[in-house]
Amino acid sequence: MNPVFDWHALAPDVVLAATVLLTLVATFLLPDRDATQVSRIAAIGVLAALVPVVTLANDGADRAMFDGAYVVDNYALALKAFFLVAAYVTILLSVDYIQEGDYYRGEFYFLLLTSVLGMSVMASARDLITMFVALETISIPTFVLAAYRKHDRVSNEAGVKYYVIGVLSSALMLYGMSLIFGYAGSTRLAEIGAQVSAAGAPPLLAVAVFLSLVGFAFKVSAVPFHFWAPDTYEGAPTPVTAFLSVSSKAGGFVALLNIVFFGFYGVDGAGTELWWPVIWVLAALSMTLGNLAALRQTNVVRMLAYSSVAQGGFMLVPFAAAGIAGAAGDLGQADTAFGAVVIYLLVYGAMNLGAFAVVIAAARRTRSAEISSFAGLFQTSPTLAVLMTVFMASLAGIPPLAGWFAKFVMFQSAVEAGGAWGITLAVVAGVNSVIAFFYYAGVMRQMWFKEPAGEDRSEIEVPYALTGALAITAAVTLVVGVYPQLFARVGELAF
Amino acid sequence: MTEFYRQYLAVAVFVVAAFGMVGAMLGLARLLRPTNPQDEKYVTYESGADPLPLFGQANVRYYIYALLFVIFDVEAVFIFPWAIDVDGLEWFGLIEMTIFIGVLLLGLAYVWRKGLLKWA
Repeated sequence: MNPVFDWHALAPDVVLAATVLLTLVATFLLPDRDATQVSRIAAIGVLAALVPVVTLANDGADRAMFDGAYVVDNYALALKAFFLVAAYVTILLSVDYIQEGDYYRGEFYFLLLTSVLGMSVMASARDLITMFVALETISIPTFVLAAYRKHDRVSNEAGVKYYVIGVLSSALMLYGMSLIFGYAGSTRLAEIGAQVSAAGAPPLLAVAVFLSLVGFAFKVSAVPFHFWAPDTYEGAPTPVTAFLSVSSKAGGFVALLNIVFFGFYGVDGAGTELWWPVIWVLAALSMTLGNLAALRQTNVVRMLAYSSVAQGGFMLVPFAAAGIAGAAGDLGQADTAFGAVVIYLLVYGAMNLGAFAVVIAAARRTRSAEISSFAGLFQTSPTLAVLMTVFMASLAGIPPLAGWFAKFVMFQSAVEAGGAWGITLAVVAGVNSVIAFFYYAGVMRQMWFKEPAGEDRSEIEVPYALTGALAITAAVTLVVGVYPQLFARVGELAF
Repeated sequence: MTEFYRQYLAVAVFVVAAFGMVGAMLGLARLLRPTNPQDEKYVTYESGADPLPLFGQANVRYYIYALLFVIFDVEAVFIFPWAIDVDGLEWFGLIEMTIFIGVLLLGLAYVWRKGLLKWA
């Protein structure tokens, strides 16, 4: 019997897959030195894949395929849209960087889009095997991308570290998944959830859940599984770092949301006590250690790496809160908290990509990633300095920028989950927001109050593509800050 | 004891049996055989070839061929179950498999165009 296809629901992924193949063909048919054509194909393909996402969202019906292994609902669509827009911005960040570098050029877009295809599938995956295939599709191209500056030893180190950690986390996760299959007798998340509610949670399931959570914790670089991130982020080409710290990390978070919300959560929140303590510890450690390490960095990419570890911790806060609320039987509050994870993810994507866009733009002249290279940026390039201030302030959570709203829903979920654990987590997050402000403000201080270091005081020239990336990310950061209902609605619809 | 744990008990029995079997064979041999050690006898047996030096250099070009071999070998793994039910899958199956092989051939075309199939 042939499976039933709903082509409309599959359209975003089919368009993306066709674009991936087209970029590969274009890479070997067009001359090697010029990848602008390939980058155009990639950019148009990503935007074309957004069209069916919009029409599906307009339609609004949930569509399940392949016995419920692949589902297109509001949650999947919101994340697909996020991944596609983030991919578009990443392409804009990369165009000039790749064209000016001495690398294979066309292949860059092929690898980038392959990874994005994995993310798009991950948003719809409701089955352990589909999730695993999607996760590997996300990861394998990024191993190559991290080592893309192939004559540079640091970049090679970045690639190897990322690869070894990636394989280790996959192995742990697979082991956990095999135990879950032994427990539930199915790889469908819905059936695993039903089994959790019906049969309760034996110690075996706790081991399985712990192993798979640790696997995902590596992917989202949560402390104590974060140690690869700073080296990999520093060594990889900067646009790739932006991609890793936003899209790839979000891919890990979506996988975590899928397996926890659709699986371990149970039908009625019965399984929450299995996982929320693990997430609670990961969240508290990631926030605290990420921020303390970020304080001491002198390299802006390393600082952003540790900041992204800390931001990942903030994202885990509503996650743990959802578990606490679910264990207390307050399912409505748990759904709100899951929504807060998605909102934080979307906001974080915009502001972090924006921060990297400024770093890439500034490095075009300074050729340096030291925080001190931002000295006097306001005098030489006021627009860039203002934009960087916006992104840093947003990451720190200062109103009226988008980061403020993300922090707000995060705190709200932790406080309303209540109990000693919920309140403690909110306090830890509060202290960390204050610590985080110092290193974000450190960059601002360099830009506004220091004298420029070099002789060259002309304004930094920003290419068109990079300007586009800055415009998109700045617009989202500002608009969502002033009009947060935009993303709040997405969070509500998703769960 | 649930059915699930009972299945794992079988695995445990197998593990014990496996260790017991190997231990019995080696132990028995040790008791029965004469011992007359020489250095040459302790060299690892490697099809009659000298096992050392351990890290001989292999041409890096073999790598790309090994990779291509694996890709098309795995392709065969997917084609076999499809071939068994090729009637039942009708045109849909044929088109699907054509797309699958086409995607893999694109990879081969890429390697070819990049000149990696030339040994020189």
